[in-house]
Amino acid sequence: MPRTGKSIVNFTAAFSVLLFALLLGVMHGPTPIPLRTVIDRIISPNASIDSVIVWDIRLPELVAAALVGGGLAVAGAVMQALLKNPLADPYIVGASAGAGLGATLMQEFLPFVNMMAPGAFVGALAAVFLSYLLSRGRGTTSMLTLILAGYAVGVILTSVMTFLMLLNRQDLTTIFAWEIGGINGVTWSRVAVVVVLMTVSLLVIWPYAHDMNALLLGEEQAHHLGVPVRRVQFVLLVSASLLTGAAVYISGLIGFVGLVIPHVVRRLNGPNHRQLIPLAFLIGAAFLTLAELVATSMPVIGPIPVGLVTAFLGGPYFLYLLVRQNRWKQGWSR
Amino acid sequence: MVSIMQDAMLELHDVSYHWPGASQTFGPISQRIAPGRFVALIGPNGAGKSTLLKLIAALWRPDTGEVIVNHQNVLTLTAAQRARQISFVPQTLDTSFDLTVREVVELGGLNRLSWRDRLQFRPSVSPSQLESTLRRTEVWHLQDRAFTTLSGGEAKRTLLACALMQEAPLLLLDEPTAHLDPGHAMKFLDLVRAKVDAGELTVLMAYHDLTTVGLYADELWVMDQGQLILTGAAADVLPHPMIRQIYDVDFIPLVHPRTKRPMLIFP
Repeated sequence: MPRTGKSIVNFTAAFSVLLFALLLGVMHGPTPIPLRTVIDRIISPNASIDSVIVWDIRLPELVAAALVGGGLAVAGAVMQALLKNPLADPYIVGASAGAGLGATLMQEFLPFVNMMAPGAFVGALAAVFLSYLLSRGRGTTSMLTLILAGYAVGVILTSVMTFLMLLNRQDLTTIFAWEIGGINGVTWSRVAVVVVLMTVSLLVIWPYAHDMNALLLGEEQAHHLGVPVRRVQFVLLVSASLLTGAAVYISGLIGFVGLVIPHVVRRLNGPNHRQLIPLAFLIGAAFLTLAELVATSMPVIGPIPVGLVTAFLGGPYFLYLLVRQNRWKQGWSR
Repeated sequence: MVSIMQDAMLELHDVSYHWPGASQTFGPISQRIAPGRFVALIGPNGAGKSTLLKLIAALWRPDTGEVIVNHQNVLTLTAAQRARQISFVPQTLDTSFDLTVREVVELGGLNRLSWRDRLQFRPSVSPSQLESTLRRTEVWHLQDRAFTTLSGGEAKRTLLACALMQEAPLLLLDEPTAHLDPGHAMKFLDLVRAKVDAGELTVLMAYHDLTTVGLYADELWVMDQGQLILTGAAADVLPHPMIRQIYDVDFIPLVHPRTKRPMLIFP
C-alpha cells in the first residue's frame, strides 16, 4: 500500500514543520528570545518579561495564525469537493463579500462597540445561505448555479458595502486593512472563540470524508453509492462557512490559503479526503505561521499584513495552476 | 397475490414521468422482474431507457406510481438503504480528481459505514473483500493507478467492481459496453452473466447492440417514445415485427450456431 506509507511520511513532515514554525515564531521578534528560554517559559511560565512576551504577545498570534491557516485550508478542500472544481476557494460562494458588508454595517451603526468581527462572521454565513437558497432547484442543488449565485450575491453585497464606505470616509483605512487580512492584537479569549467554532465544524466535516470522495465522482454516482447528496452538500457548506467565518473573525480576509493549500496536499498525497482533510489542516497551519513570520519581519518597512504575503505567494501559484489545468484540458501533456 | 409479490426483485406500478419542458411523457409503465433474471432494455435513442433506470434508482421522482425493489418503495428508503438494494454502473463518469482505482472501488462499501466507522481512521471495506472483487473484475493490477488515466474498458470494470462492492441484489447498467472494443465488451458481459448465473444478481441493462443482446439477456423490454411496448423472452421478442418497425430496419433473425441463442443482424 504505497499511499499509506507515503502519507505517514507526509503527516510527520507536516507536523514537524508546524512545530518548527511555531517555535521559530516565539523566538523571533523585536526582542529575540533564545530557544532554551522559550522552552523553559512555555513549560513553566513566570512573571518575567520573556514569559509575558511568549505567552501574552507571541503565542496567541502564532496560534491564531496556525488555526486560521488550517481552517481556511480545510474549508477550501471541502468547497473544492462540493463544487467538484479544484480551483474553488472558501470565499467563492459570497462569503467574503458577506463578511465585508457585515463588518461595514457594524462599523457604521455600532461604532462604539467593537463588533466588526462578529458582524463579518454573521455576514459571511448569511451570504452563503442566500446563495444556497437561490441555487436550490428541483431534486439536487446545482453546484454551478451556486457558484454563479455566489458571484451575483457577492457583487451586490460589495456594491452596498462600497456605498456605505463612501458615506463614511474616515473608516476606509480600517476596512481596507481588514480586507487584506492580517493577524494582530489577538488575545487568548478571541483565540478560544475560534478554537470552539473550528472544533465543532471539523468534527462535523470529518465523518463525511468518505462522502466527499464519492462526490468527486459526481452527484449522480454519489447518489448511487448511498450518499444523501443534498443533505451532505448542505451540512458541508454550512460547516465550511463556519470554518471560514471563524478564520475571518480573527484575521479578516486572508486570500489564497484555502485555494492553494488543498491543491499542494493533493499533489503530495492524492485526493482521498480521509488524508487530505487532516493533512490540509496541518500544512495550512504551518504555511500561515511561516507567512506570519515573514510578514512581521519585513526589513525597512516593518510589519505588513500577512494577507499581502499569502497573496504575493499564492497569486502566481494560482495562475500557474490555471494555465496548467487549461493546457491539460486541451490535451497537452501534463 | 402474496406469493407473486415474493417473486419480484423489481416491480413498477403505473410509473409515469414528464421531462421538464418536453411535451412527450413517459409511461405509465407497469412491469416486474423476478429474482435472478437478466433483463435487457432496448429501443431507439431517446426512447426513455435511461429515464427508466434513473426512476428506478430514485435519482428522479416519478409523477405517479411507485417503484418497488425487494418489496420496498425506493422513495421511502434512506440513501444508504437504497444503495444496499440497488447498484448502478453509469454510462460515463467525469471526474477531474485523481482518486485511485482502489479508492474508487472502496466507495462501494460506503453504504455500510456506521458512525463509529466514520469517526475512526478506517477504510470502508475489508482488505480481503476488496482484493477478491478487484481480482474478479481484473483490475487488481491497476489498483494504484489514477481512475482518470484508465482506458474505457478498465474504467468500466472499475465501476463494475465498485457496484459489486455494494453487494446489492439489483444491478442497473446503462449501456455498459458503449465505447468498448468487442473483447472488453464480451469480458464485461460474461462477468455480469456469471454473477447472475451464480444467483447473486438480478440485472436490468439498457443496451443497443441487437446482435449480442440475446446472447446474454433472458428477457427483453422494448421501449419506444417513453412507452414500454413489448416484453418477453429474447427468442420471442427479437424476431417480432415490432422491432423492425421501431428501428425502421429489416433485421435478419439468426440463431447462434453454438449456443442456439437468438440474434439480429443488419440486413
